Amino acid sequence: MESLSHHDVINLLLQLATMLLMARIFSEIARKFNQPSVVGELLAGIILGPTILGTFGPEAFEYMFASNPQANLALDGFVQIAVILLLFIAGLEVELHLVFSQGKSALSISMLGLIVPFALGFVVPYFMPEFFGLAEGNKLLFALFMGTAMSITALPVVVRILMDMNLFKSKMGMLIVASAMVNDIIGWLIFSVILSFMGKSGNLNLLETIGITVGFTLFMLTIGKALLNKMLPWINKKLSWPGGLLSLSMAFCFLAAAFTEWLGIHSIFGAFLLGVALGDSDQMPERAKEIVHQFINNIFAPLFFVSIGLKVNFAANFDLLLTLAVLVISFAGKIIGSGIGAYKGGGFTKRESLAVGFGMNARGAMEIILGLIALENGLIDEKLFVALVIMAIVTSMTSGPLMKWSLSKK
Amino acid sequence: MFQKIALAVAFSPRIEALLAEARRLRIRFDAELILIHIGEKSAELEDKLDALLVKHQFDKSRVKIFWEEGKPAKQILHICKQEKVDLLIAGALKKEGLLEYYIGSIARKIIRKADCSVMMLIEPSVEEKPFERIVINGTQLNQTPQVIASGLAVAQRLDAQVIHILNEIKMYGLQMATASEGCEDEVSQARKQLVNEEIKYVEDILKNIDKGTLKINIKVTSGKWAPELVKFSEKINANLIILGHEKLGFFDRLFPHDLEDILQNLPSNILFLRS
Repeated sequence: MESLSHHDVINLLLQLATMLLMARIFSEIARKFNQPSVVGELLAGIILGPTILGTFGPEAFEYMFASNPQANLALDGFVQIAVILLLFIAGLEVELHLVFSQGKSALSISMLGLIVPFALGFVVPYFMPEFFGLAEGNKLLFALFMGTAMSITALPVVVRILMDMNLFKSKMGMLIVASAMVNDIIGWLIFSVILSFMGKSGNLNLLETIGITVGFTLFMLTIGKALLNKMLPWINKKLSWPGGLLSLSMAFCFLAAAFTEWLGIHSIFGAFLLGVALGDSDQMPERAKEIVHQFINNIFAPLFFVSIGLKVNFAANFDLLLTLAVLVISFAGKIIGSGIGAYKGGGFTKRESLAVGFGMNARGAMEIILGLIALENGLIDEKLFVALVIMAIVTSMTSGPLMKWSLSKK
Repeated sequence: MFQKIALAVAFSPRIEALLAEARRLRIRFDAELILIHIGEKSAELEDKLDALLVKHQFDKSRVKIFWEEGKPAKQILHICKQEKVDLLIAGALKKEGLLEYYIGSIARKIIRKADCSVMMLIEPSVEEKPFERIVINGTQLNQTPQVIASGLAVAQRLDAQVIHILNEIKMYGLQMATASEGCEDEVSQARKQLVNEEIKYVEDILKNIDKGTLKINIKVTSGKWAPELVKFSEKINANLIILGHEKLGFFDRLFPHDLEDILQNLPSNILFLRS
């Protein structure tokens, strides 16, 4: 087995330390301004990356992040794991119990909140692919990707906003949370189908891919969950706690990820579905969930979000018109879609429905992960990626204040 | 509160115990009693039932017996509806066995589709066993205030002593992970607040309810309410669990949750209250 040289190790450790330090500093600043920490972490990456450090202190940037291919490769490994783990906790957050208990209203909010932004995100880029920066390849795939990128609501951001506003347990809060969960599942289902066509491993046809994706989803949510339900009590009782549960759930997560990667749909989909099955199991203690969250949110998530800023020059690739277009489509689609869903299907007043729309409008980590995979596979260019990241940040930052505003007016 | 009680009768080894339980419940609620048997009517069975009614000193003027043929669950529910039954009692087995008569599909069908309250007895006995420890589901659902109020009324009729009301913190793990963006004091404050809010929810409901001499204990859990309810009831060896009733559909079976979770492994007698 090859190993890193003395110098590589030092470089890698310095990279990790700098990324975590800067992420912490900026997420604390974000917290002071009552913003999600992901905003601070992205900013830390932009400062450390080619945008700021690379421009104003190119030697330092070169020394730190560009002089050592071996160390960079190792760092990329960390980031890959971080993405898989982020999807794992995104899945863990989904509680099918809650979705079912919210019934039809949640379905109508999430469906309209998915279909309208998806349609807008699909149609506009489909007819203007050059403007939106289709890098190479299939126009249809590109439009499908844009549709999906517009439709996934960021559950952790929404939960945070609802808790701050003391709305988490209200009828509206639970409906928004449940709808965001449905959005998550369906959004990732669609995306995994798109992914299998983008990736290098795309040797399946459309029907096979859809069949395998849906089949694997159903398997994980029924038989997979039942198996976990049988195993978890044994793990909880017989093995050390929470050590046994933690290492085994990570192991299963990587196994599921490897399996979906092998199938030809991306590894993150397996991690996500395992998270859903595990999170929905009766035997997964909430305390363990909390530990998994803390561990991933505070160590792996910052590494991932900082790495975004390291990869792309946000200043050179900033395109105002494109960013505005992405923002308009994302705001309009989500607010109109979820708002109508809440008004028609949830029995809310116009003001409340608008608030639901604003709440569902928050995007975050998932859009960024989606965008990054599309960028790495050459489906989109850096300009569009930057616009998507800005869209994720702006929607996350404005969601809370806009909800407050719409609910304060009678 | 329950004016008409029905007992689903199968001629199983537990028939005598179930009849004895039904008689006691009839007296406690001062209700009329009807007995429903789905299956062939024969002189032998009629004699057997008659003998049992005599043995247990049933007031025959207040007992009506139905013998019907057809699909058990469907027929039982049909008669309950027609007779405007408030409470249907049936025997159930603790663990589901595929070949069992009354639990398995029939008990589930009854619980899924009943229009009235349903009481499933897993350990009926000829001798009276008091319902000392009752657990009420106090998790935040639309029906919960009503379930707690009716549950306490039932508990008083049953001469219960201790009532445990269980309320869950929804998505505790995610809420705490979100709250942990604060500093240490804020996090522990958030943790306390989550617990206190759930206690307050139950206390607010209890304020306007007559509690008699019942001793009430509010317990807050984290995790999904249904399995937590089962776990807690097993731990304190509860005699009865009271929870609200909801009709379940096909999807609930495909992705079993809440009620279906409880039915898989009944920890004690259970009463589904219909408002």
